[in-house]
Amino acid sequence: MNRWRLPFQRENGGRSRNTLSRGAGSDTLAAYLFIAPAIIGFTVFVGYPLIRSFYLALTKYNGLTDPVFVGLGNFRRLFTTDPAFWPALRATGYLVVLYVPLSLILGLALAMFCNQRFRGVRIVRTLSYLPVVLPAVATITLWKFILNPQVGLLNTILERLGLPTSLWLQSPTMAMPSVVLMMLWGVGGTMIIFLAALQAVPTELYEAAKVDGAGPWSAFLRITIPTISPIILLQVILQTTAALQTFNQPKILTNGGPGFSTNVLMLSIYNNGFPNLGRVPQLGYASAQVWVLFIVIIAVIALAAKFTSLWTYSDNTPD
Amino acid sequence: MTTLPTERRPRRLIGTTAWYATALFIAAVMIVPLLWMITIGLKSGSAVFEIPPRLLPREWTWRNFIDGPQAINFPRLLLNSTIITALSVLGGVMTAMMTGYALARLRFPGRKLWFYLFVGSMLLPGVVGLIPLFQLYKSIGWYDTWLPLIVPAFLGGNPLFIFLARQYFLAIPYSIDEAAKIDGAGHLRIFTQVMLPLTRPAWITMAILAFQASWNDYLNPLVYLYSSGKWPLSVGMAAFISPFAGKTPDWSYYMATNLLYMLPPLILFFAAQRYFIQGLGSLGSTTQK
Repeated sequence: MNRWRLPFQRENGGRSRNTLSRGAGSDTLAAYLFIAPAIIGFTVFVGYPLIRSFYLALTKYNGLTDPVFVGLGNFRRLFTTDPAFWPALRATGYLVVLYVPLSLILGLALAMFCNQRFRGVRIVRTLSYLPVVLPAVATITLWKFILNPQVGLLNTILERLGLPTSLWLQSPTMAMPSVVLMMLWGVGGTMIIFLAALQAVPTELYEAAKVDGAGPWSAFLRITIPTISPIILLQVILQTTAALQTFNQPKILTNGGPGFSTNVLMLSIYNNGFPNLGRVPQLGYASAQVWVLFIVIIAVIALAAKFTSLWTYSDNTPD
Repeated sequence: MTTLPTERRPRRLIGTTAWYATALFIAAVMIVPLLWMITIGLKSGSAVFEIPPRLLPREWTWRNFIDGPQAINFPRLLLNSTIITALSVLGGVMTAMMTGYALARLRFPGRKLWFYLFVGSMLLPGVVGLIPLFQLYKSIGWYDTWLPLIVPAFLGGNPLFIFLARQYFLAIPYSIDEAAKIDGAGHLRIFTQVMLPLTRPAWITMAILAFQASWNDYLNPLVYLYSSGKWPLSVGMAAFISPFAGKTPDWSYYMATNLLYMLPPLILFFAAQRYFIQGLGSLGSTTQK
């Protein structure tokens, strides 16, 4: 946990200690006035919901009458009787397993591609980043139509090339890969962070490797990967936690279908907590699902942090 | 790292032809869907479902760019989105700058504690707050108003901004504060008249990220806004093509309007590309060096 966040926490404000100490009392008052909004925000939007949500997870609550304490009843129902919960977990896991490795590999490959010296490399970089800039709803709805089996762009192109087409979002087996395909169109976001990391790798390392007779492949494995390993780890954590919370794409593209094939945990939480008119909201039950998701996210971060010390190249020597 | 100097390293891993072939492929993957969207926007309603589909419209229906937005209630949604986004950008940047200033440049008890709490809350998934906050807003009459989308920004709602602001403030020499203090300036004057001008790149980057976050936000307005007259573009656009609307959506109207929806972030991107890339790159570069 500490290892990968270490650089975040580098304290170089220390030198102000003596020079800014004139009237520490007035500094304290001023400082608390400056951060008062953030403290209020932290209390109301982080502290309160965290506690309240944990309590609600242990209750039966429809949002109208007072919550009724049921202990671990919600969790028992989740893991034993609810027919939709395991499929939701499986769909979420499937999405993460498909999306995260592909996003990292394609993102890194694209970054390495854009890190070379060619005319026009800026254009490729700009275009790759373009989908990230566009509003999520706009791109998702566009892809909903691209993936339309009858008149969509993807099948039109595949047909003209004589390649097999697919039902994409309408097929239970292809729906999730289609969602992931759409998400990968935004790989530019991963690319840009990798690109910044690649450009911070000291050039001398490559030159030294070249002198020693290393080819591009072994330079990649022995220099690039170890040097950017802290960023790879950061990306694994960021991408996994984000993928676990995917909502917009399945909500707009498939609304969970066909069947339960793309009914990820976030969608299930949303549908239980904020159902269509006429159905009773199950806010306690949805809170229990939120906590399952939350615990999975914490586990991912903890696990990643534990692995950090094993394989990332440590550049955390004080500078 | 302020820019990404691509020319710095003369290293080539693959041959020129292979590079350009790949570059062309990548460019096509990124741009063709958008071009196709424009052609759909220009087709007449029935031509969209023509089989086999034509890549270019037979007749160019420019009127879709007028009729489409009207059918979707675009002017109203645009106004709503503009107000919500403008206020949350203002709030998010202002609070982050104030908090970052205090955390980086003032000495006070609890400084480290609050820094760790703010930055630590970055790890908290947003969904944890969804249900308790929904109930809270409902009980104080904020449900179906814009307040849940705006007020949190004024209260440090984005911890990443606080982190970025603090990093930036740490890099400014302390002799500047000293000089201002000798001239008799208080904290408020140092902050507004000395620090804000010096930290322009930081708050422009934040403003862009905040704009993007608010303009793109879908889940929050979907949960907190009930009346269609108050919806921002994200919810209104998605509702137009949702099957719940009862009838088959008019895709050519939709795609024409979708282009208009994309325009503001697109223009901002090309006008301030440096800051966009800096914003995301800063996440990587701060962890590295």
